[in-house]
Amino acid sequence: MSKVTGTETMREGNRAGDGFDLYFGPVHPGSGNFGVKLTVQGEEIVAARADPGYLHRGFEKLMEYRTPMQNAVLSDRLCILESLNWNLVHAEAVDRLHGTEIPERAQYIRVIMAELSRIQSHIIWYGVLSKALGFDTGFMVAFGYRDYVLDLFEFVTGGRVYPAGYLCPGGVRRDFPDGTEKRIRDLLVKMETMIREFEAYNSKTIEARCRGIGVLTLDDALRLGATGPVLRASGLAADVRRDSPYEIYDELDFEVPTREEGDAFARSMIRQREIEESIKIIRQALDRLPPEAVPLVKPRVSGKIPEGEVYVRNEIARGEAAVYMRSIGEDQPYRCKIRGPDLLHMIPVLEHLLVGAELADVPAIYWSLNICPADMDR
Amino acid sequence: MGNRQRPVKREELLETMESRFGVEPRVAEDGTVWVSIDSEHLSALLVFTKRGGFNHCSAISVTDWPADEAFELTYHLWSYEEKVLLTVKSRIDRQEATVNSAIPLWGPSAGIHERELHELFGVEFLGNPDLVPLFLESWDGPPPFRKDFDWRAYVREAFYEEGNPHEQSYWD
Repeated sequence: MSKVTGTETMREGNRAGDGFDLYFGPVHPGSGNFGVKLTVQGEEIVAARADPGYLHRGFEKLMEYRTPMQNAVLSDRLCILESLNWNLVHAEAVDRLHGTEIPERAQYIRVIMAELSRIQSHIIWYGVLSKALGFDTGFMVAFGYRDYVLDLFEFVTGGRVYPAGYLCPGGVRRDFPDGTEKRIRDLLVKMETMIREFEAYNSKTIEARCRGIGVLTLDDALRLGATGPVLRASGLAADVRRDSPYEIYDELDFEVPTREEGDAFARSMIRQREIEESIKIIRQALDRLPPEAVPLVKPRVSGKIPEGEVYVRNEIARGEAAVYMRSIGEDQPYRCKIRGPDLLHMIPVLEHLLVGAELADVPAIYWSLNICPADMDR
Repeated sequence: MGNRQRPVKREELLETMESRFGVEPRVAEDGTVWVSIDSEHLSALLVFTKRGGFNHCSAISVTDWPADEAFELTYHLWSYEEKVLLTVKSRIDRQEATVNSAIPLWGPSAGIHERELHELFGVEFLGNPDLVPLFLESWDGPPPFRKDFDWRAYVREAFYEEGNPHEQSYWD
């Protein structure tokens, strides 16, 4: 199958009135490794067809050939933008098959790292949305602040973007190094300053370009499989952390922000509020972090996975992430189905929102969904 | 389809599934509910779950069991109202792998999973109008996620040259 480039199609475009085909991505600076083929009539989009697959690496199949500790490292790559969160979903699936009780301190560390990962992912989203809207300052500010979080990831896990399976089956790969708590608390103060900066920009930039754009009704959100901030911006207060708590989330006090408008602006505001909630969660977790004297379980490097099957769901920055793992008592899982939020957001939701939109609003709609081709293609 | 929904509690769900469908649901340690049903009655059970408030189709998956000549379908369903996670499992024949599409129940959120499974496992979802390949380009081999597709052998054949001294380690 040969792909037609946007310019060729433009030149040969149908002049009988069916409009032109335009490719947004896969090499658009704001698209990620993903494209969407738009049919436009004048400025209006009359059809949209997602073009995924550029990051399809066959993880589900690869995992059938590897042990859980190898898969923990592989799970980093499920989404470049929030690898620690994917670490956690995978680790929990293996833990539940083993029936492993995770030491309390390790559970706290897992939650702290997962929430930092959520903040970091939301910062990238803010930066890329700003870039897509032509607001380069927002991009620079966001990516500047992101580096503070990456510094902490490097300090704790050794990797800035990929933690090499830091949150692994059995617990965490190693305890927090000395001084981590202080570093995290300092980081959270920086994050609060960052939010105030974001808020100062909102009305002139995000609100002007996103208000009333890409409206997703609650009925459509459910029908199209939206989860996470996209669903909450359409009015449903659903959050896996609260609805079926994992790790220590049931002991923590946090809010699930929702809005009713369902537009790109609502989705943006939800994510900014979620950074604040994550800060709240991390502070509580740090206050209650059990002392270091509690030994952490050594990662389970080898051994058979007990026979059985689990379906584990987590709330990651983009929405609902889940792993269906089936074991027949071998060293490797027999089947590992990975359910990411973006298969739904990047295909049914995006296609739905783009039809009828103006061409100039495509980047705003696209990035208001905060999409990640890596966890869609897997 | 929205008006006929009435969210059912976990206990009622378990009882009704047992009495109406003659299946034996299992509640796992983590509170999730698992049920297996023969493929003939799968559609009826899925309709029951949708009407019973399982309004979120979290995922649909296939597990390949070549020794049993079967594909096992798993539907992972979530009720936003009752906060129950239900997995419905059903085995279909591996040679004639066809099953009714769940699009009439969960719309495009089910359709996109089916499209993926059609490409990667070769399962036919009757009534799904959009089963064109999703991820793979120019692929004319067997559905690659089937257990009997050896991707290591495929990669070696497709990308390495036997007899090339620099690539010999891939063939040893």
